[in-house]
Amino acid sequence: MPAPINVSSGSQAIIALGNVSTQADITGANNAQILPYLQDITINNSTGVFRWKTLDSTAENAATTPATNSISMNIVVDETSFFGAANVENSVIADGIFGTSKNKTRVHFQVGLEGADSTDVTITGEGFISGLAPTVNMDSPVWVTPLTIEVDGDYTKGAVA
Amino acid sequence: MRDTLLTAITANVASSNVSVSSELPWIQGDEPLYSINMKKFYLDEEQISNTVLFETLDDNKIYETETTMEGFLEVDAKNPLSDIDTVISGILGSKSAIANTTIAESNYSTETENDRITYTFEFRFITY
Repeated sequence: MPAPINVSSGSQAIIALGNVSTQADITGANNAQILPYLQDITINNSTGVFRWKTLDSTAENAATTPATNSISMNIVVDETSFFGAANVENSVIADGIFGTSKNKTRVHFQVGLEGADSTDVTITGEGFISGLAPTVNMDSPVWVTPLTIEVDGDYTKGAVA
Repeated sequence: MRDTLLTAITANVASSNVSVSSELPWIQGDEPLYSINMKKFYLDEEQISNTVLFETLDDNKIYETETTMEGFLEVDAKNPLSDIDTVISGILGSKSAIANTTIAESNYSTETENDRITYTFEFRFITY
């Protein structure tokens, strides 16, 4: 029977960040930065395509090339997570999202699709924070920003231990 | 919020022909207090509405809070107050006393019945 993954509580679609892989822990352990106020999150895995034609064929041939991976999301700007708080272990917490982007620090991430309970599916990887564009206006006077993690390399599917 | 607004209104009409009551405009007998005590301004209780501005996946909702209040002043329609324009301006301008609002609005309407004119003031504040 099909088993759709739905988000029915505030602890299911989550992302953890850290400057070393162990900190990318959606359970919140190991000094993980669990990003608050996620409005939406998209896991992009877009392969390139090489196409060629031959005279003896009526249609193009195709082969995929390495994928461009990125995690994109929109968040409500939280002062602590955006600008940083004292933390000697995880520089993503210490520098905040803004500082991590500005400093071009490599980040490790773990995305939870169905929560942080044992055997729940995760996707991990590493990359760089990009695409911050905090915005506010009088019709919606709370700061929000897009955020993209430009993934360096491949994703790894895993599960919460 | 009502206390702050009431203090500002009291200060703004202090030297006018209108006084300000701290009581709510409750109904005594069949008449509201502002009909019994003409030339006295009454500010009603706050009405607060919380609506979600942003839903978030971690259930930390961002709320928009709308607070509205009504004020009432009744005067003799045959002998209008000489300083009614100043009084109205003072009451409407009291909205500025409420801090940390994204929107602070005030307006008024009038209704004349028999020889009485009732000014109904509406205040609206949006906070986050």
